[in-house]
Amino acid sequence: MKMFTFIGTLLCLLIAGSAHGTKDVFPYTYFIDDLPNGLRVITVPTDHPNIVALQVVMQVGSRNEVEPGKSGFAHFFEHMMFRGTKKFPAEKYQQILKRAGVDSNAYTSDDLTVYHSTFSAEDLETLLMVEADRFQNLTYSVEDFKTEAKAVLGEYNKNSANPLRKMLEVLRDTAFTRHPYKHTTMGFLRDIEDMPNQYEYSRTFFQRYYRPEYATIIVVGDVTRERVVSLVKKYWGSWPRGSYVPDIPAEPEQTEPKSAHIDWPMPTLPWIMIAYKGPAYSDEAKDMATMDIIANLAFSPSSELYRRLVIKEQKVDQLFPLFSDHRDPYLLIVAARVKDEKDLDYVKERILQTFASLKTTPVSRERLEAVKSHLRYSFALSLDDPQSIADTLAHYVALRRTPETINKLYRLYDAITVEDVQAMARKYFVKAHRTIVTLASKR
Amino acid sequence: MRHDRGLWLAVGIIMVILGTLVHGSPSWTASGAETMHGRGNVHGALPTMRNDDRGPVAALTMIGGDGGRSPGNTLMSAPTPKRPPSHGDAGPGPKIATVLLPGESPLVSFRILFNVGAASDPPGKEGVAALTAAMLSQGGSRQMTYEQIVQAMYPLATSFTAQVDKEMTVFYGTTHRDNLETYYRIISDMLLDPGWREEDFTRLKTEAINFLKVNLRSSNDEELGKEELYNFIYEGHPYGHHNRGRVGALEKLTLADVKAFYRQHYTQANLVIGLAGGYPPDFPERVITDFRRLPPGSPTRLKLPPPPPIRGLKMRIIQKETRATAISFGFPIPVNRSHPDWPALWLVRSYFGEHRSSNSYLFQRMREIRGLNYGDYAYIEYFPRGMFQFYPDPNLARQQQIFQVWIRPVEPRNAHFALRIALYELKKLVDRGMTREDFEATRQYLSKFVNLMVRTQDRRLGYALDSRYYGIGEFTQYVRRALARLTLDDVNRVIKKYLQYKNIKIVVVTKDARGFRDAVASNRPSPIHYPAPKPKEILQEDEIIAHFHLDLRPEDIEIVPVERVFQ
Repeated sequence: MKMFTFIGTLLCLLIAGSAHGTKDVFPYTYFIDDLPNGLRVITVPTDHPNIVALQVVMQVGSRNEVEPGKSGFAHFFEHMMFRGTKKFPAEKYQQILKRAGVDSNAYTSDDLTVYHSTFSAEDLETLLMVEADRFQNLTYSVEDFKTEAKAVLGEYNKNSANPLRKMLEVLRDTAFTRHPYKHTTMGFLRDIEDMPNQYEYSRTFFQRYYRPEYATIIVVGDVTRERVVSLVKKYWGSWPRGSYVPDIPAEPEQTEPKSAHIDWPMPTLPWIMIAYKGPAYSDEAKDMATMDIIANLAFSPSSELYRRLVIKEQKVDQLFPLFSDHRDPYLLIVAARVKDEKDLDYVKERILQTFASLKTTPVSRERLEAVKSHLRYSFALSLDDPQSIADTLAHYVALRRTPETINKLYRLYDAITVEDVQAMARKYFVKAHRTIVTLASKR
Repeated sequence: MRHDRGLWLAVGIIMVILGTLVHGSPSWTASGAETMHGRGNVHGALPTMRNDDRGPVAALTMIGGDGGRSPGNTLMSAPTPKRPPSHGDAGPGPKIATVLLPGESPLVSFRILFNVGAASDPPGKEGVAALTAAMLSQGGSRQMTYEQIVQAMYPLATSFTAQVDKEMTVFYGTTHRDNLETYYRIISDMLLDPGWREEDFTRLKTEAINFLKVNLRSSNDEELGKEELYNFIYEGHPYGHHNRGRVGALEKLTLADVKAFYRQHYTQANLVIGLAGGYPPDFPERVITDFRRLPPGSPTRLKLPPPPPIRGLKMRIIQKETRATAISFGFPIPVNRSHPDWPALWLVRSYFGEHRSSNSYLFQRMREIRGLNYGDYAYIEYFPRGMFQFYPDPNLARQQQIFQVWIRPVEPRNAHFALRIALYELKKLVDRGMTREDFEATRQYLSKFVNLMVRTQDRRLGYALDSRYYGIGEFTQYVRRALARLTLDDVNRVIKKYLQYKNIKIVVVTKDARGFRDAVASNRPSPIHYPAPKPKEILQEDEIIAHFHLDLRPEDIEIVPVERVFQ
């Protein structure tokens, strides 16, 4: 069993951190305990009276959907996790949560599935007990399975009115050829429609991935490490370790620029997304950290491009980067909504030119420091309450299974130089690695 | 990077990303901007969830969302409320109201609230309240251009956002106390000494129009239906237009209109200053002194006519090209948070359709058992942007509220059944009331859940401002005490008194509007089809629901092309 303790305070990290990069940005003491079966427990006691946030982070997401016809399964399975066990059938499970006044839910993304709940400190044992039961003993009938498949289709349907959803679907399908990032977390529509027929596979999925070595339990709030660990041992200690390791295909290097266009059936303003293949998340290599800085430097509301297109010329009403952390190399995306279709090419050129100029023109040190300040204050402001602390941790725990990765990442940010920005821009903003998707109303 | 309190999704509306609120720069917050409380990974990766959209997704979805902290409107002035604990100030002029929650946190939260909103939009100028708020929160001050403000706020990673509802406009933001001086200087100039630049006006007016035309009409069928339900219910009433305005009126608005609205309504008498967190002890006095630069004004009272009566079932079908069918329905209720029956009705709502909770009755009957859609909920207070968040935003207080049921999009072939089952269940609730077991379980749930509603400093401040408006004291204590006193008889009495199933307005968003109208008006049976066998008792109930009579004649149903909505 290991234990790490890091102490800091919000204040000192903000005052000193950005200057020297020596302080930890994550200001709370935390404890890591590993059970023999591979389950990891991260406890973060805070002084928020009586509130506890519990999150079970599974390192499984749509990235794990490597078999044909099975896209969307990680998310679908997350739904099934609410269908109950022999001991606590769904109705009973819901009753227990209701009596405890729990705010409970789950979400799935490319690299993770998270089950989260927030509740009063007195209900900690109840929650750890019922959650342990469903992770180990989930049971559901074929009929429940088919009913839930319809609810998932309903989710696809409710999302379908949004043009950005469609654009991301097409962008990923166009940009990737082999890696499962080719599909969104919802999955391909054809696979969603076929889900009612996949009951047997759902049991296989559960046996493979709902295992302690894929799981990390995060508990934040009015708790002690001792109590959390003893309860986790009591209820989760006998969960048997699994052995499955997925073979996730690597994406071959893209060799030529790609593009796609979507005809939207409704009146809308045109959109453009420009994406380059990017690096995977790392708290050691500077690549992704530099990309986070570039997202802020070049495409945030404080950027030159934003000032020009949105505020001065007013040709664009929405402009934003989507540079997200992923376990495997993903996409660096910039999206813009253009007010007049005739300006679409102009806006595209401005965005491309911005990418190009990062390679040739050094950014100012002052701007770089402003971005670093922004990142640190953003982080500090986000840690409002146990739930938001746990939310933040879940993201990083899915990537590296430890809060320490946050401190390492922010130290990396501090170390990024003007030269790094230029070098990484040259490395990643390569025409042959580019994909452009546009969307406009059907004429 | 993850949460981004620093990343943007700007969206004229808002956005943010991940994790929590938007901090960033005012640009993407403010008035048309929306804030989102999300979690999950961000950028590009859209997480999907069982019963929710958070995080990145939410951020993205928001683009199609009701953008903006939604504006509200109101007219007249101060509502009904009694005046609870507010601290006054000394000095000349009317007393400036304050709500102060000092604490040890390194963060300082501002909520500067004016008791004016979209219900005060003059006829023909619908949208002026929201556009005024946008000019203050997303435009420049006299000292700084908007661009300069964005640059100055950026290293602080903070934002300044406006939310406009019918009777309230609130400007809010949180800063680290390291940066309090810089932040306060910027925002106080924005509110007290606006720049009124023509280029800001053009940008924000276009943004407001695009919000209605593009974001709502063409990107978010759910919010489209929910917002149009309010317009349908409040036709001819000061609440009868979207908080962002009407497209036709917005197109004609001028900078002079906005300035006139500001002069008339942004007064000391309409102002409540809310502060929370680790500010210095003398800070509130300084803020009060600064805000004395506003004209004194006089307390006005927003006198609202009663909502128009609804006689029978009335349906408005919005026709648009879309995959699924979105449905909302409701009717006015004479109960707001200051009413003695509010806690009982709030409990009934939670039992019947708690927002985004799989515990509630409707969710169980429609989604869990039948897989009809993603979720089904009930409300007794305005709750915009519900597809992006789990908790209601504060400072949407209103004198008049509606009871509402929100049915998330269903497959068109099941839409008629979905409407029938929701009304059938509502009828059962009204006819039979709640059982003791359900009453006790819901009471216990809410007594604890209420703590989570105010779990952040900013939310506590927002709720304190609302409690001041409604005259009910600290929210969690008020709720817990009221719940402790409630009896089963109380809740069953309020069900009979305030809920009903005969006089309701319904809004449907669908592609085949005529087909749906014909099916509904003819009361044609609408069997539901399942991919797997169902228990006999469910099939028997389905048979009853498939024939459940809806008293809608062809003349009770109107079809509106989406282009005309919000026009």
